[in-house]
Amino acid sequence: MTAFWKLGKWKCEAGGTPPGDIDCASVVAQLYEYIDEELDEETVKKIRVHLELCKRCYPHYDFEKAFLRFLSEHGRISTPPELKRRIFQRILEEESQG
Amino acid sequence: MSEEATRKRQEFEREALVHLDTLYNVAVRLCGNASDAEDLVQETVTKAYRAWDTYERGTNCRAWLVAILRNTFINQYRRESKRPSPVEYESVEETSVFESVQDRDPEGSFFRYIVDDEVKRAIQELPEEFRIPVVLSDVEGMSYAEISEALELPVGTVKSRLFRGRRRLQQRLYEYALEMGYIR
Ligand SMILES: [Zn+2]
Repeated sequence: MTAFWKLGKWKCEAGGTPPGDIDCASVVAQLYEYIDEELDEETVKKIRVHLELCKRCYPHYDFEKAFLRFLSEHGRISTPPELKRRIFQRILEEESQG
Repeated sequence: MSEEATRKRQEFEREALVHLDTLYNVAVRLCGNASDAEDLVQETVTKAYRAWDTYERGTNCRAWLVAILRNTFINQYRRESKRPSPVEYESVEETSVFESVQDRDPEGSFFRYIVDDEVKRAIQELPEEFRIPVVLSDVEGMSYAEISEALELPVGTVKSRLFRGRRRLQQRLYEYALEMGYIR
């Protein structure tokens, strides 16, 4: 079984139980939730087993992870220091006004 | 100045103003320009400070602040800044780019060549309903539950908007990488 999936094609073949007892389409549909750690324990376990064995889904998982990491590293806009200063000043004024 | 007022200000600084960067990031993505974003953040913070007594201690302060920001934007800024989205709504590809690159670049190393400005532009081009969840999740690291609270949306909706928004963004960056010759 394991050998079949490891050596297997890029596609799920009909018949036979997929690794982790979850098929490739379901794994791909839930990859983001898996990476975001938003799934229940049971599904996480199934997907983890599937990813260890499926030659098609593991690289897809890796790709999506790289994409999300890229976004978190390059999407940020930094706050202008002048705005920060003005806001702390504003709150001080609000305080003195009661 | 009373001691109580000082205590309130200090608590506000400690609990709320630590999220200033989040507020500014979301504001820029909502307004599309820095100067409106600055006004929006200032106004949000002032409102939040005045409503500080109504903030339930121990609940999620960041989500509370983003909700105020968003409502302020809807009430005051949207009317003036409303522009049609540059993205055609129905015709956008939402399959994973992985399908297109798995033979050439399965690790997505082409992403690394894309400059920050292009990432920001691509995020800005997403329709707002996708753009804000993506920013809150992927730039700000908020959980689905937090985003759901901040945007007053069911968790299931957050999930599907994130999914679709990420896929669109990925497609957009991929097209750009193709144009620039980062990937063949
Ligand atoms: Zn698979």
